[in-house]
Amino acid sequence: MDIQQYIASGIIEMYVMGLCSPEEEKELEQLQHQHPELQEAILQYEKEMEDKMLQNSTLPTAETDKRILKKLESLQAPVIPITSAITGKRINWLKPVAAAAVLLLGISAYFNYSLYNKNKKQEALIAASTSSPLPAGDYAVITNPSITPVAMYGVGTHTICRCTMFWDKQTGKAYIMIHHLPKSSSSRDYQLWAEVDGRTVSVGIINDEIRGRFIEVTNVPGHSVAFKVTLENAGGAQTPTIAETYLEGKI
Amino acid sequence: MTLNSYTEKELTEALKKHDNAAYRHLYMNYRGALYNNILQIIPDTETAADVLQEAFIQIWKNIDKYDENKGRLFTWMLKLTRNMAINQTRIKNFKVHSKNEELTNYVSVIDNKTPQLTAINHIGLRQQVHKLRKELKDVIELSYFEGLKQEEISEILKIPLGTVKSRIRMAVIELRKEFL
Repeated sequence: MDIQQYIASGIIEMYVMGLCSPEEEKELEQLQHQHPELQEAILQYEKEMEDKMLQNSTLPTAETDKRILKKLESLQAPVIPITSAITGKRINWLKPVAAAAVLLLGISAYFNYSLYNKNKKQEALIAASTSSPLPAGDYAVITNPSITPVAMYGVGTHTICRCTMFWDKQTGKAYIMIHHLPKSSSSRDYQLWAEVDGRTVSVGIINDEIRGRFIEVTNVPGHSVAFKVTLENAGGAQTPTIAETYLEGKI
Repeated sequence: MTLNSYTEKELTEALKKHDNAAYRHLYMNYRGALYNNILQIIPDTETAADVLQEAFIQIWKNIDKYDENKGRLFTWMLKLTRNMAINQTRIKNFKVHSKNEELTNYVSVIDNKTPQLTAINHIGLRQQVHKLRKELKDVIELSYFEGLKQEEISEILKIPLGTVKSRIRMAVIELRKEFL
């Protein structure tokens, strides 16, 4: 490929403005690793656009500034590591869920183990019970009938993908644990969708940077019958791009 | 507009730690550019201000997804903000055609230098886009301002996908010369 011709083709401007198709974007991101001049040309246009747009500002009202700054200050860290939740240093909603997860992992480990070797059943039970030293109160969450676990499996070429969701129908909140999902690019987001009353509605964007922790999602429709995760442009889409479905799970 | 109290790298690091001062700095430096971009899509200042707030909340929530090896912070913020503004127009059930009409009128009003509108200075990319010849203007309207995929544009304009691609390329090259 003639890289100078590629640089002059308009592809850089399209990329920076976010107008590339997913294939064009992928190609450009691969090429820029091999061609420093391509990377340099992208950076140059990014700076050019940024300067022009900073010069071309429109300021919101002082009230808007005040309101948004106050809102930003009020935001709390979106997720808390399970470890700190379990040690009880921070009191939060994750504690019972984390406990449930540990317990479920324990139960799962137990069943796997007993299948593997029935003779060692008793030892396995001991192992499972000692791996989750939980306060008695935390068991309440799994006996709570409003919590529905949803296993989500990889779709099509993404069979390796997995995540588990604990959905609280009463509060409309769900806690998602990603077991495997490819890291999304900076211009793409994973989006969670619910199937409800024959329609597919957006639940929200999933921050897939978070591994080994729960991601909280709110406003999950109460009558959802299935969920799916698709990869969309950053900020999410109005309708799911079916070809980019990564995960699916039914209730 | 100056960012001299932080380098981009320092700013990104502080943002990823959810440092309040860094977000304040980010907001004060970039709100004008982002708000102007939202106004290009949503002329109503109140709705645009709501989108601006939501955009900064999303920047705060998704900052871990920003990968500094893939581009500058502003480019990432702009894409996110533009997508949110476009989503807002869809939620509000703007009809594609009436929206085009409305915004075409809006731009022509600016061209006529109506005092209130020039005073609040919403000029920007969209005005430049409207100076392009029609076939280039149309593909940028549909792709950049309405967020449609290349395939969807091909269907709406009834032109081959390859033509959509080449028109977008020509349009962005011209825009760079004129504005960006």
